[in-house]
Amino acid sequence: MKIESWLFLGGTLFFLPIAIVYGFMTGWSEWVGIPALFMLVALALMLGGYLMFTAKRVGPRPEDRNDGEIHENAGVVGAFSPWSWWPIVVAGSAAIGFLGMAIGWWILYIGAGLSVIAIIGWTYEYSRGDHAH
Amino acid sequence: MVSVGTVVWLASELMFFAALFAMYFTLRAASPEMWATETDKLNVPFALINTIILVSSSFSCQFGVFAAENLQPRRTGGMWNMKKWGMIEWFILTFILGAIFVSVQAYEYTELVHHGIALDSNPYGSAFYMTTGFHGLHVTGGLIAFLLIIGRAYIAKKFGHFEATSAIVTSYYWHFVDVVWIALFAIIYFLK
Repeated sequence: MKIESWLFLGGTLFFLPIAIVYGFMTGWSEWVGIPALFMLVALALMLGGYLMFTAKRVGPRPEDRNDGEIHENAGVVGAFSPWSWWPIVVAGSAAIGFLGMAIGWWILYIGAGLSVIAIIGWTYEYSRGDHAH
Repeated sequence: MVSVGTVVWLASELMFFAALFAMYFTLRAASPEMWATETDKLNVPFALINTIILVSSSFSCQFGVFAAENLQPRRTGGMWNMKKWGMIEWFILTFILGAIFVSVQAYEYTELVHHGIALDSNPYGSAFYMTTGFHGLHVTGGLIAFLLIIGRAYIAKKFGHFEATSAIVTSYYWHFVDVVWIALFAIIYFLK
């Protein structure tokens, strides 16, 4: 679909002149807005370019045709977790870690240790136990 | 699906680094005479070699991705036959190169501290350590990600698209961090 990439590439076409005009209007001396605007151009270009690249790689999709059928999209889309406790464990350990920065450094070590468990648990959830493949 | 999400997240990371670039340029515009004296203390050839190491790690990472896309986790030939390397061998090489980069950067930090540039010494020190330091943290995060991905490849009895997808998105992150470093390097060590 062309619209998905042009949605973002349009941002590139909009922000590039904006960034140049902004540069001239501030006399190229305001160094917060100028890099931010130019990197906004890069952001839009990155997303639009990637979507265009992906669309080319995937080829024509049934949802782009008026006579497309639902069954044409059947097949494996990807691996998605139906539910998981691990994100809560990661969030909790991160919270304990930041609490350590605010209250006392010793708490940070507890948070760091729990983070190791949480990240390994999350990454390997579908590689071990009942899900080992 | 996972890869599109990763690219969207990396786009937001780009704006995080935009804030750091903005900070660097703002401080530089505010005190140009400090930049003139402090940037002379930088060891540019040293940093250039380190940059080459990081860029070469991006290439080894990409070869690992090609192996992962062929669903080939391990080497099919001898240890030093790089043509037959699988994803694990390429990613271990990438990990070693990335670890060298972080270690050399830590060494460079100690050198600069000896020359009187510390995080709290002056605005130049703040700008230098905040930009390169946040980048170094990203590289370290990438190294942890590589370890997790290598572990996943070892643990899988059947290396499939589940493992390959995570390897590919980790490579996206690695290339992104690499490109950010090239921009940082050009600004800090050449533009000054």
